[in-house]
Amino acid sequence: MIYLDSAATTLQKPRAVAEAMSTATGTMASPGRGGHRPARLAAETAWACREAIARLFNFDRPENVAFTMNATHALNIALGSLVTPGGRVVVSGWEHNAVVRALHALGAELDVVPGALFDSDAALEGFRERLRGAECCVCTHVSNVFGFVLPVYEIAALCREYGVPFVLDASQSAGALPLDAAGLGADFIAMPGHKGLLGPQGTGVLLCSAPVRPLLFGGTGSESRSRAMPAFLPDRLEAGTHNIPGIAGLLAGVNYVNRLGPANIARRERALMRALALELKKLPGLEVFLSDGEEAQAGVLSVRHERAGSEELGEALGRLGVCVRAGLHCAPLAHESAGTIETGTVRLSLSPFNSPAELRRVPGLMRRAISGALAGA
Amino acid sequence: MQRYLIMCRSLTYAQRAASALERAGVTAAVSRAPQQLTANGCGYCLRVNENRFHAALGVLERGGIPHGRLYRAEADGRYVEVAR
Repeated sequence: MIYLDSAATTLQKPRAVAEAMSTATGTMASPGRGGHRPARLAAETAWACREAIARLFNFDRPENVAFTMNATHALNIALGSLVTPGGRVVVSGWEHNAVVRALHALGAELDVVPGALFDSDAALEGFRERLRGAECCVCTHVSNVFGFVLPVYEIAALCREYGVPFVLDASQSAGALPLDAAGLGADFIAMPGHKGLLGPQGTGVLLCSAPVRPLLFGGTGSESRSRAMPAFLPDRLEAGTHNIPGIAGLLAGVNYVNRLGPANIARRERALMRALALELKKLPGLEVFLSDGEEAQAGVLSVRHERAGSEELGEALGRLGVCVRAGLHCAPLAHESAGTIETGTVRLSLSPFNSPAELRRVPGLMRRAISGALAGA
Repeated sequence: MQRYLIMCRSLTYAQRAASALERAGVTAAVSRAPQQLTANGCGYCLRVNENRFHAALGVLERGGIPHGRLYRAEADGRYVEVAR
């Protein structure tokens, strides 16, 4: 099997992730729910994870690292804290439904920045034109469909200039690209634990630098006599029992990423992805969405065939043991921006565990998959 | 040796404080606060030995790490509030 669906979930993890989860399941209880050893171990693990995440993202307040179920959960908290019905929210044209649907549910007016794929200057100019008077700005760091790296530091600086709160969706970049929270200065940074951070499913993180409104209400193990949620983080956002096995696994994943270094991970994934893309470009009828400049694209690559449908091609690749994702990738806005809304694309996305040798096999398998999809096999 | 309690508003703040103290070479144990000291229920504290109490407060102050009231644990089980 060649696993190329890491933009959805990284399947291969460091061995320490499963070991940590198993240990946690057998030895750890609930942080803040007791003074006994299993509760203490759980509390120490949660704190160690907050510190490791803060270190990875140069975020100076580990207590403001809130655990969530996933990036969607984190984004819903962030947007629910900032957006009011009818408020105008400026978003990139590359946002995932985790942003678009949450804003729709909040009754926000979406102001979508237009611009061509991999055109950072156009994106930046579009944000500049729209930010004045906006209630909030949301931007993905990396498009989950095309790997387009948005100029988020410059967009964040514009937000500060116009006094607009900024939310970064780091779903595709966390762990896969360097991300400097202090340098960025966003109000919120949302991310999953199960993609580039190499943790398990069911984990996510919200880095909070602005007042938050909870989505869930309940016990926190603090200020129990008060009927209101605590005003302080992370308790304000962490009602109910923590996913301690998940957090223990996430800690192991983050430690691995901290050791490798996101810059090294990004360099390797980009090199592998570009080598693969150049080979795929040689296949007749296959359109490969590859940026001209290396910096404009992370380790995510979309392709589509002029005659074979994307879903059929994805299925055919799956039968050959190549795991990809096909269709709209929960990001119809991105496909509208790129002009691929009617066809969708087949996405190949990398992780630190992909080897050059397995990627060299992909063009040949893609050729066979195209033939299979066209034959209806 | 007498023990001092540094009250913290949450487990995570207590952990943050303990982490800063550890980096400064001051040993402090995170624990649940005595019931009688937590007016709002479920509080946390750091327990520090007498000879490191003032050093601990200095570390927290320099690090901008907030803490709550301060107590000395008496041999008879009472807690006496102390000033900085």
